[in-house]
Order: sequence, then structure tokens, then C-alpha cells
Amino acid sequence: MADKKKQSKHQPAKKQGDTFTRYLVIGMIALIVLAGVGAAIAKNHSNSHAPVPASVSKADGYGISLNPTAKVKVDMYEDFRCPNCKNFEAVNNTFINSLVRAGKINAVYHPMSFIAPDSAVAAAAAACAADQGKFLEMHTALYANQPDSSVVGEHSTYWKNPQLILLGHSVGITSKAFDSCVNSGKYIPWTNNIAADAAAKNINGTPDVIVNGKTLPLATDYDAKAFAKVLSDLGVK
Amino acid sequence: MKDSWKSWLTLVGRLLLGGVLLAAGYLKARNPTEATASVRVYKLLPVGVANIFGYCLPWIEIGLALLLIVGIWVRQVSVLSGALMVLFIFAVGQAWARKLAINCGCFGNGGVSADGKVHPGVYLTEILRDIGLTVVAGYLYRFPHGKLGLDKAEVFEI
Repeated sequence: MADKKKQSKHQPAKKQGDTFTRYLVIGMIALIVLAGVGAAIAKNHSNSHAPVPASVSKADGYGISLNPTAKVKVDMYEDFRCPNCKNFEAVNNTFINSLVRAGKINAVYHPMSFIAPDSAVAAAAAACAADQGKFLEMHTALYANQPDSSVVGEHSTYWKNPQLILLGHSVGITSKAFDSCVNSGKYIPWTNNIAADAAAKNINGTPDVIVNGKTLPLATDYDAKAFAKVLSDLGVK
Repeated sequence: MKDSWKSWLTLVGRLLLGGVLLAAGYLKARNPTEATASVRVYKLLPVGVANIFGYCLPWIEIGLALLLIVGIWVRQVSVLSGALMVLFIFAVGQAWARKLAINCGCFGNGGVSADGKVHPGVYLTEILRDIGLTVVAGYLYRFPHGKLGLDKAEVFEI
């Protein structure tokens, strides 16, 4: 139909039609680029109105901060779907949990959400568990039950709300508030705040473990003895 | 029509460079956390600037890719794409020289492994790929008018 219209007109009119198409395409591409940049910046900006779970400290980059008064601070940037984080947890989880329970360290957990589409869902569920005072248990269970990346692709979805709720129940959460917190995705926006803060702090991968402001070499993260030595040098045993 | 093969080659070049840019942009646009980290790891820009660049870069790549694929402003876009490739080559080269781990996300083997060992192959692959794409951009600059492009009307202007 458009062709017919063009043919019936004179030569210059046809050229004008081509020019119009061209500008239309240019306009569309410009719109895509501008909308994309706008959305990316808006989405990754910290939202101060986002609901935050219990024990979150804004000063600590929205991380879940346990024992905030302890002298030695251990910041952990992890993604619940990150296999290397699972390695770190397999090596150090029991030790770190015991130190936290004994009040010996200020553990700050920054659950990142960039590995898989469900990373944020798992992080939000852990935040719901924090409200029930069961963050450590949920955190441990999420890594213990992380799917093998050779079975479920590292970047494929694994966790869905019903499984996360069951996992929560398995670590002793009984409150209905937990179930509805997970189902409503209450803390999903909070995971963006974590990510925005990590970006501003130049966190470029997970796991990233920082003890009293000093980033540990990756080799230390995967070595129980070396990790324990860093803490014992600071008087934590 | 003895130059016909050249205009076909231009189409191939546009689709190749456009396709790579589109894929690169799409993958990064889907994951802004990795996109910004992948700028920061080169340690060329202050963190705040690197983050803004990281949010914009995927969409700039997508924009350039779409223009190349539909064939609009091919000559100008080839200059910008070529410049981007030269920037990438420079960034990877200096990361190699400074032994910086690139390809963030999983720190695994982005040129430097956990024990600090440097793997030149990682940098070299990136650099060779970008040199290849720079050559394609150069060809498009020289012969911007190919088959099936919206720039056709201007064929005889240059």
C-alpha cells in the first residue's frame, strides 16, 4: 500500500518518503538508546524508600549487620547463586557462624544479585529470614542447597518462592509473616540498594571478603587456615 | 556492476560488526551490575564515572549496532565503532600490562587466577577479536554503501 502511494507521486515526493522512513528508524533507535540508559540509571539507583529487613545498616551499604558493636568487621559480598561463594562458604561457614553467635565479629552480609535471575529472590528470602532472627540459618541453608552448576546452569533460574519458603521452614521459621514476605517479594527492591552500594564501593566480583576495610586475596577466601589467621591476627579466635 | 561484490561485503561487514555489538550490548544491558564492574576492573576511570559509563555503554553499543544493521550513517557509525574498538584494545592492553583481572563476575580466570598467575591468552583473544572488528570498521568507512541499507540514497554523494 505504501508503495502504491509512493508510485503515484512525483520523484521528489518518493525521495521524501524514503527520508521519512529513515528519520523514523533513526528516531526509534534514539528512543531505544535513551530509554535504555534512563532505565539502567534509574533502576540501579539506591531507593531510600525501599523496605529494608531487620539488622540492616545503611552506613554499612544496606548490608545485614550482625553484632554491630564487635570490633572486627567482616564484610561479605556474595551471590546466593555464585559457585565460588559456595566454595567460600563450604570452607568457612561453620567458623564464621560460630564467631557471629559468640559475638566476636561484626559480620556484614551483602547479598548480591547478578549471577542468575533468581539471585535477588534468594537474597530477598534471606532478608525475610533476618526479620525472623534466622538469617544465619537461612544463609547457610541457601548455600548448602545451592544447585550444582553442572545440573542447573549457573545463570538459570532455580529458586522459586515455594522452595524458599520450605527451606525457611526447614531451618525453624514458623511465622506466617515469613511466607508472605517471600511471596510478596517485599525485599526485592532492597537488593538494588545493595548492588548500587557495591558498585560505588568498586566491588567487582563475588565472593569479596573485606576484614576491617582490607580486601582479602581470593586465595585466602578459599583457605580455612589462612582465613582464620587473618582473624586471629586481629585477636579473634 | 563490477563493484557489486564490494557492496555485498559491506553488508556482511555491517552485519558482523553490528551483530557483535548487538550481542555484547544485549548481554551487558541485561546485567548492569556486571556491566559496571566490567568497566571498573580496567581501573581507567574513577569509580563513579566508570559506573555511569557502564550503564550507558551497552545502550551505545546497541544503538551503533542497530544503525549498522539497518545501514544508516554507516560511515559515521563505522568511525565511532572503530574508535570504541581501539578504546577496548587500549583498555585490555593496559590491563594486561598492569596484570589486572578482567572478565569479572566469577573471578575465576579473567586473565589472573586466584593464585595471582597471569594468563596472556585471555587478553590476547580479546585484543585479536577487537583488532579484527577494527579492520571491519575500516572497511565500512572506505566502502560504506552496501546492499540493503537505508543510506542507499546517498550512494553518489561521497
